[in-house]
Amino acid sequence: MSSILATRFRRIRAKPSDTGTSRHPIRALKTRIARHFEGMLRRVPMGPDGVARVGARQIYILPTAAGMTYGAVMLVMLLGSLNYQNNLGLLFTFFLASVGVIAMHHAWLNLLGLAVQARGGPAVFAGETATFEVTLRAEGRRMRHDIHVRKAQDTPPPLFVPANDQGSLGLAVPALRRGLLRLGSITLETRHPMRLFRAWCYVDAAATTLVYPAPAAHAPEPSPDAGDNRRPHKHSGEGAEDYLGSRRYRPGDSPKHIDWKAFARERGLLVKEFGGEQGQEVWIDWSGLRATDTETRLSLMSRQILDASEAGLRFGLRLPDGTEPLAQGAAHAQRCLTRLALFHDV
Amino acid sequence: MSEKTIPIGEHAEPRQALWTSLLVMAASLPLMWHLHWQVNAFLVLIFAVRLLAVRWPSAMPGTGVRILLTFAGVANCLHGYHTLAGQDGGAALFATMITLKLLELKSKRDLRLVTILIGFLIVVQFLFDESFSMAAYLGAIALGVVALLAHLNAGFRDASARPALRVALNLSLQALPLTLVLFVLFPRLNAPLWNLGFERDAAMTGMSDTMEPGDISKLVVDGEGAFRIRFDSTPPARDQLYWRGPVLWEMDGRRWTPGTPPRDAAAGLLQAEAPIDYEIVLEPTKQRWLFALDMPVSAPEGAFVTPDLQIISHRPINALKRYRVRSALVYRTTEPSPALREFALRLPDNITPRMRALVADWKTQTDTDWQLVQRGLAFFNREAFHYTLEPPALSRNPADEFLFETRSGFCEHYASAFALLMRIGGIPSRIVLGYLGGEDNDIGGYQIVRQSDAHAWAEVLIAGRGWVRVDPTAAVDPSRIDRSSASRLLGAGASVRFDLDDASGIVRFVRGLRLLADTLDAGWQNWVLDFSSEDQLALLDRMGLGALREYGLAALMLVAISLTLAVVMLGLMRDKPAEDPLDALYARFCRKLARAGIPRLHHEGPRDYGERVASVRPDLRAPVSRFIALYLPARYGTVDAAHSLQPLKAHLQRFVPRRRPER
Repeated sequence: MSSILATRFRRIRAKPSDTGTSRHPIRALKTRIARHFEGMLRRVPMGPDGVARVGARQIYILPTAAGMTYGAVMLVMLLGSLNYQNNLGLLFTFFLASVGVIAMHHAWLNLLGLAVQARGGPAVFAGETATFEVTLRAEGRRMRHDIHVRKAQDTPPPLFVPANDQGSLGLAVPALRRGLLRLGSITLETRHPMRLFRAWCYVDAAATTLVYPAPAAHAPEPSPDAGDNRRPHKHSGEGAEDYLGSRRYRPGDSPKHIDWKAFARERGLLVKEFGGEQGQEVWIDWSGLRATDTETRLSLMSRQILDASEAGLRFGLRLPDGTEPLAQGAAHAQRCLTRLALFHDV
Repeated sequence: MSEKTIPIGEHAEPRQALWTSLLVMAASLPLMWHLHWQVNAFLVLIFAVRLLAVRWPSAMPGTGVRILLTFAGVANCLHGYHTLAGQDGGAALFATMITLKLLELKSKRDLRLVTILIGFLIVVQFLFDESFSMAAYLGAIALGVVALLAHLNAGFRDASARPALRVALNLSLQALPLTLVLFVLFPRLNAPLWNLGFERDAAMTGMSDTMEPGDISKLVVDGEGAFRIRFDSTPPARDQLYWRGPVLWEMDGRRWTPGTPPRDAAAGLLQAEAPIDYEIVLEPTKQRWLFALDMPVSAPEGAFVTPDLQIISHRPINALKRYRVRSALVYRTTEPSPALREFALRLPDNITPRMRALVADWKTQTDTDWQLVQRGLAFFNREAFHYTLEPPALSRNPADEFLFETRSGFCEHYASAFALLMRIGGIPSRIVLGYLGGEDNDIGGYQIVRQSDAHAWAEVLIAGRGWVRVDPTAAVDPSRIDRSSASRLLGAGASVRFDLDDASGIVRFVRGLRLLADTLDAGWQNWVLDFSSEDQLALLDRMGLGALREYGLAALMLVAISLTLAVVMLGLMRDKPAEDPLDALYARFCRKLARAGIPRLHHEGPRDYGERVASVRPDLRAPVSRFIALYLPARYGTVDAAHSLQPLKAHLQRFVPRRRPER
């Protein structure tokens, strides 16, 4: 059955609380200043072919800690050689310094002209981690060493891209809210060849991925009838139908259904499954839920869709902006979840 | 000590740690030649521990032991040198510290730090040894530093050393033009910024400013070069090449010293003819005098001419010194003041009666001072005086014993005895130390004077002629010269003192090699070691920017750096995709036909083009269709292009279409 959904759902971890702008005035000012400067940063724009090519003027470069040490040692060597009027010392100082300067240009060249393409991964639930696939292409004779692609905290291992070839990696981005998650700006960074300089650029990656609303822990049973009764159908003995079997615990399962005896026998967290009659038709109805705000309602509906899909029911979705007809299967569930993800309250 | 947390991926890999350690060892190896044995022993101990720890990691000392070792290392340096500053003490301390750091290579950061510091270790060594071979060796070490830094950053396809080495080679080659520009144009200092006062006090071979029997004969067995001369015009005859150094006035019975002659403001040259200009590159002497041909007319910059016609530099010659001098081969000095004349007649109190009797006897035979001088020279020539580098030891009264008993000695014995005899006879005299002669180096186009050419002669004051050079050593009968002594053996090649040159084939060959080596060495010294602010300003002059002085140099440097970088960068950025060899061959084929007057039309494929050529020019049908027949299957068919390349290339080479069909 909807195994894709199920596995993905299992990945939901503790929901990171959405840290919005702080109310603190100084911190708010800082954020504003940071935003202002962020707006001034040069970014690599996406080309008409969906590929961003790193241009010469979009690369930033600064010495690393090792580069600072290198420079300091060069300075000492220079002063010493000048003072002792030692030409060989000067020659070697100049050689190492020139190597440093050339290395700086190599760091720059290592990013220059790199073609970047980003693609959103499969849809996830809010609170999970979305993945994006970033592909780097070295269009030319130059191979690219030690390219780090970064987004927020995620730092995958560096990429080596041979000349006229490409390499790709996955970027994990926390999906905090439902809707379309834009990858936004990613950082390409290199310390090639001697780690004396760090060259980096910001790439506007126009990739998006879909984030479904996080399913509520549990939700009322949807009404089985097609009617538009406002009251939720009172089901007799909720969740007390015939015992169908056990399956592994998935986040969001009701604690009432956990098989505690099995847990005590160290068989892991198992959940007892109960089912009503198969082939039942239900409507997952916006108006059939009693909830204070839109997001809670959507999250309840998300749970209902998952449950219905899990139970193998035929179900339909009724939202204020339209309906999804009765159907069955993973594709249908995904379609319904997409409607929820992109739902716009009017 | 709290352990810092090391980020993931930043832990030092054992292999990289080993490479870093080996590089430090290789870099400090030549330095050990110059360090105190105690410091060397400590370094070797740490190296040994480090290498043992490669095989048995438990041999690596813990934090406590490391702290102890650090204290021990510093104490060891202090014990060896009594100071941690100055050139030797500082070098020892730095070598000790960087070696101790090898015991604590935990993170890549440590490795990077040590690798970068090797650069400093390299520069320190040039204070001790500036030879070409040393520079080549340390150049390899510097390349190793670059390669190691590249490897520490990684990001290569594989973890072997090869890609890092390739990157390092590339970087180094691309850095060379910039290095040269910086080296030539970076403004130099004329004087040190600071002086630590702990200069190296190594014994320098060369002349001292006193003369005691035995001093110069020690020099004569030293084949080291003293200075090189490049004459602007034809060099003078070799027996004119008296290179004047310190002048000695006072004799205490054993030893000649400069003394303190009374000041004579009027002293100098009355007449100076036959001027000759030349340039001298003087090896460091740690002394202040600059050698010049008898007699120097003017002093180079930073030096002055004394009343007794020595050239004295304002600062000791601690590094190679290049200077230009003009000398007059025909000259007349001023008559000295009576006080000075008196000073040049002072005698030590160990003058024996038989010395006085000898001179008194001469005086009865001669009328003038100059005749007395000639009589004295004749004495050395006629009596059984022998010339040897290994004279018998002289005791209390060297002059007397030499004149009447041993009668064998070296130039210093002769000059000293002669000057004393002249003083007894009432002729003011003084001793001049310096060098005589010079070996032609035809390869380098200069002359070299070696330490073995060191010499001492006398100057006597003759009324109406001033100070006149007299070389009593030259008066010795050549048949009484000891040819077996060390002067023949130890590199004292062609001493002009007596022209003892019976060069056999092997000797000539060895001398040729020596001259060649010396030429290379001179080039190295001239172009690298001795490149100075004067050369830079001369270069600026030649470009017509001489008036701008240092500012012009700085501006020129900035312009040159920018241009060089621009050229290097343009070379690096030229990134056209590699052309397919098959396409290149087809393009060549089309070009050849285009030159023959049948260019390919844009819409034509190879087959259509070939057919058109064949119909327009039936004489080309065979070669063209053969090419197309080879090309098409390789390009579009199943034939492997690699196999078709060679025959296509061969065919194309023979294919030379003419503009007109052949009749």
